Amino acid sequence: MGYPEGYLSERPAWTTGAGIQDALARRAIAARRYLGVFLLDAGALAILWILVSYVYAWYVLGTTAYTLVPWWAFAVGVVEAAAVWGSFGLSLGQRLLGRALGPTQGQEASSGARVRYFLLWHVLVLPGVGFLFDPPLHERVTGLGLRPRGTEGVAPAPWYRTSAGLFVAALLVVTCAAAVGVTVSWSALVRLFRQAGETVDFWRALVSPDTSILLDAGRDMIVTVFMAVLSTLFAVVVAVPLSFFAARNLMRGPLGRSVYTVLRGAMSIIRSIEPIIWAIIFLVWVTALRSAFAGILALWVHSIADLVKLYAERLEAIDQGPIEAITSSGAGRLSVLRYAIIPQIVNPYISFTLYRWDINIRMATVVGLVGGGGIGQRLINYIWGVQYRQAGTVMILIVILVWAIDYLSARLRAKLA
Amino acid sequence: MVWQPMANPYLVVEHLTKVYERGQVLALRDLSFAVEKGEFLVVIGLSGSGKSTLLRCINRLIEPTSGKIWLDGVDVTRLSQARMRRVRRRIGMIFQQFNLVDRSTAIGNVLTGRLGYLPGWRALLGWFPKEDREKALANLERVGLRDKAYVRVDQLSGGQRQRVGIARALMQDPEVLLADEPVSALDPATSHSIMQYLEQMNRHDGATVIASLHFLSLARRYGTRIIALKDGQLVFDGPPNAIDNAKFKEIYGEDAEEVEVR
Amino acid sequence: MSGESAAVVGSASGDRLAVLARRALSFFLDWMVWGYVAYCVMYLLNHYWYTVHVDWWGTLTLPSWGWPLVVLATLELAVWCRSLGRSLGQRAIGVAFQDAAGGRITVGRRLGRILLWHISVPLFAVGFWRGWDPWHDRVVGVGLRPISPDPERPGRRALATQWGMVALFLGALTLWVGWLIIGINFQVLARRAAQTRRIWGEMLRPDFRYFTAPDPVFSLRALSYSILDLAVVTVFMALMATILGAVIAFPLSFLGARNVMGFSPPGWAAYGIVRGFFNVFRSIETIIWGSIFAVWVGYGTTLAGILALTVHTVAALGKLYSEQVEGVSPGPLEAVWAAGGSRVQVVRHAVIPQVLPSFWAFTLYRWDINVRMSTVIALVGGGGIGDMLFYYKNQGDWPKVGAVVIVIVAIVWAMDYISGRLRERIA
Ligand SMILES: Nc1ncnc2c1ncn2[C@@H]1O[C@H](COP(=O)(O)OP(=O)(O)O)[C@@H](O)[C@H]1O
Ligand SMILES: [Mg+2]
Repeated sequence: MGYPEGYLSERPAWTTGAGIQDALARRAIAARRYLGVFLLDAGALAILWILVSYVYAWYVLGTTAYTLVPWWAFAVGVVEAAAVWGSFGLSLGQRLLGRALGPTQGQEASSGARVRYFLLWHVLVLPGVGFLFDPPLHERVTGLGLRPRGTEGVAPAPWYRTSAGLFVAALLVVTCAAAVGVTVSWSALVRLFRQAGETVDFWRALVSPDTSILLDAGRDMIVTVFMAVLSTLFAVVVAVPLSFFAARNLMRGPLGRSVYTVLRGAMSIIRSIEPIIWAIIFLVWVTALRSAFAGILALWVHSIADLVKLYAERLEAIDQGPIEAITSSGAGRLSVLRYAIIPQIVNPYISFTLYRWDINIRMATVVGLVGGGGIGQRLINYIWGVQYRQAGTVMILIVILVWAIDYLSARLRAKLA
Repeated sequence: MVWQPMANPYLVVEHLTKVYERGQVLALRDLSFAVEKGEFLVVIGLSGSGKSTLLRCINRLIEPTSGKIWLDGVDVTRLSQARMRRVRRRIGMIFQQFNLVDRSTAIGNVLTGRLGYLPGWRALLGWFPKEDREKALANLERVGLRDKAYVRVDQLSGGQRQRVGIARALMQDPEVLLADEPVSALDPATSHSIMQYLEQMNRHDGATVIASLHFLSLARRYGTRIIALKDGQLVFDGPPNAIDNAKFKEIYGEDAEEVEVR
Repeated sequence: MSGESAAVVGSASGDRLAVLARRALSFFLDWMVWGYVAYCVMYLLNHYWYTVHVDWWGTLTLPSWGWPLVVLATLELAVWCRSLGRSLGQRAIGVAFQDAAGGRITVGRRLGRILLWHISVPLFAVGFWRGWDPWHDRVVGVGLRPISPDPERPGRRALATQWGMVALFLGALTLWVGWLIIGINFQVLARRAAQTRRIWGEMLRPDFRYFTAPDPVFSLRALSYSILDLAVVTVFMALMATILGAVIAFPLSFLGARNVMGFSPPGWAAYGIVRGFFNVFRSIETIIWGSIFAVWVGYGTTLAGILALTVHTVAALGKLYSEQVEGVSPGPLEAVWAAGGSRVQVVRHAVIPQVLPSFWAFTLYRWDINVRMSTVIALVGGGGIGDMLFYYKNQGDWPKVGAVVIVIVAIVWAMDYISGRLRERIA
């Protein structure tokens, strides 16, 4: 690593900028190794503690509680438990990062050394003092450090013989207990079996759909399809230019990198808010209870965020060869974009767009449920109006529509590939 | 290696050094040599010895860390990006992986060789002059691909693609042709046909060719001069027949296992 | 001439069927194109001409002779387009009219084809099909053949071709009609911008007072909840649904795999039923399932949400799983067969080891989707943090809405990150 001796300069390494950088980097790497293991261990222990408290409070105390003790006791407990686990056993974090606490100079890790390590850990590792040295001071003093764990040739121990395996098993059991307790209520389960008759009308529609609503439903289906088409179209217009600013390989330099980060972050936030929530926001905006316009805006916003992500990821995966070739012929930046990048992305972009259109058809039915117009709105009106037979009929239509579009989009995409 | 001044050098590389920031690889160390106009210079060396880096430094696809490169009396390492583009259009380049746009037609790829000569807005609209189109067809004819002009290049074979690459370089009317392992991805018979096109450009069009090659036999057959790189250093510079067995051992043999180390 | 064109193509009857299918399909597409145009024109006429909207079919009411006229006119347009150049339908199927001898087809011959079509098609029964092409094509000497671009000549620019122009026209028409159907109205957005800015401002100053402490205002079945409580419930809902869904989908996926089931008639039947179940249940969105289960087990219960998520998960995962099972490499299967294994043993020792990694990846991916869906399933009565969101929104309590939205984003992000990391490890 680093420059060959005496090549760039005759000075000792630590007097040169590169040498100092190197030294800092080595310390940072060592610190990061310990930090990763510790964070994983402490995080996992904290989650276990919270879940155990939660289950205890739920089943025994009949309330909700997350720690059962003051937060500082919780924090100290978690840190101590992580330290013990990391010092005396092969902890989860060590396992996940492929490391183990082992001797640095070749002798066995005796239990005495482990105790010393555990004690010194509080002084040197937790405050970070040890990392001012290279190799870290606690490694020098105790002779123990996080070494890569050689696993070749050794049969892995069964999970119930390892602390990490038992830990994960306990975590799973507690999680399931909490999940069942919180989400399943007895009365609802009883209703599941007692009230199956409520839904008979839905299924009756399968054999005798209500044909009198077909014309109205057909109209709403047309609206739904148009919603999907237009929202996709408008989203493409915005997402294509944005995608170039959201591609890491095109955005170089400090300004470019910050634009990239902000854009990707914003898109990620927008994407994690479901279109339904967007539809509600836009319904408030246009002040209407029902509006296909609000629905299309919701789909539009969500599609932009989704498409920018898909497009930009494709851009990041383009072949650099043509860019090199066209740059080498003396072409400018715009020409490189036009002749080396765009030809590579046109078909994938169209393919992603079709895929998104397919999703938008489904989403358009869903957005309708909150008043976004189209067939979904008709469906929810029937359901809440206890017209289950009509609702069943509409559902059949939705299935047919979704199938047709699904098939069409898949065929077109297969052609493009 | 000491660089002996030449009577009439065309391309001069002086103390060229390249350090890749990422991984801190020393790819070229203090490299110096000169090339005369009309030479066919072959660069040989193991993979990882810095051949690609050297060629890409010459047209500054990669920025050299230090050192100078004089092309026809101009120090290209000091040119601004805009002026570098004007120099680049006189330097054709051919690649190991062809670097064609797979989704374009053969002629579409060949035409991109003219982009350096086209005003930006025309390039953006794709309005190539009629002469350029005719020239592109003529160059495809020259490499024997006239009948594939409008076929997408992903339907062509490796040798055909490299010929498209050559036609693209021909569009630039290059004074210097850089060829980075142009035949490494091809079979022996095809390799010779590609090398013959390079030879033709060297002899008939007067282009100075700098080609990196993997096989010494090809280097001996086509080169007028050979330089050898090892770990980014110049270890040989001389006529093809000067490489004897001992030299060969020195370039390729001794530490073959060390070279792969990054 | 018909003999020639037959010789060009070959003579297997399967080929003949393919030729026929291509012709029929491309014709149908062209007809549909003009049918769509007719619909749009009627809509536009109605929108700009009659100003009273009663019902949508009312708006399309035509005199009794109108419908046959529309049918005939669209047919006529399709035939003209197909004969005079390369129509959109022909482009989509990848065919074009070609001269049997490879010559140019003059406009005269094209017009002749249109004329003859009007004789030939009404007299469908009279020797319409003999050889490869219908009578009107044979007389003119053309055939509808698959074409490939000429490698020596440039293709025409898409916008200079008939199909390109028609496609552009359709796009413009769609935009126009869609604009009217949906009622796009940017003035509304602008007019309401001031109020909306206030709402956004309040949402961006989120109110986290009730993050851990139960909010006395908001109550479900007489119990108050904090945001954190419901966030936990939401994650657990997704978890339960994913586990349940995966556990049910796993065995079903083998029933829905052709290479496992396709050995006997009952096997085929089971395959068909399972796959049909997957396809139907998958195309009904989770939220719609939620509205059904809300009716069934009670509005606002988490069980309704879990069941809705589970049903959709089973269908979606089942399809993905069984596609994986169908894609296993046959080598290991043969090896177990050869060693004398039973069908169950083949599945256990040759199929499952091959598909397990991708099963995990799909399950984690599904977990992502379920987390997203569980945040909104409350809308139709499925429980979870969405209950709070919609309650505060109806109250107009925007700072709290902002807080809930932020928590939702955080949940989705965190779970997305975890599942992404886990998927990386598996791959
Ligand atoms: N972009 C890069 N970043 C870091 N190191 C690189 C990069 N490109 C090449 N190298 C390193 O530089 C050295 C020379 O590479 P290269 O010029 O490609 O050799 P050759 O073409 O002779 O095979 C190699 O050790 C290689 O690993
Ligand atoms: Mg190379």
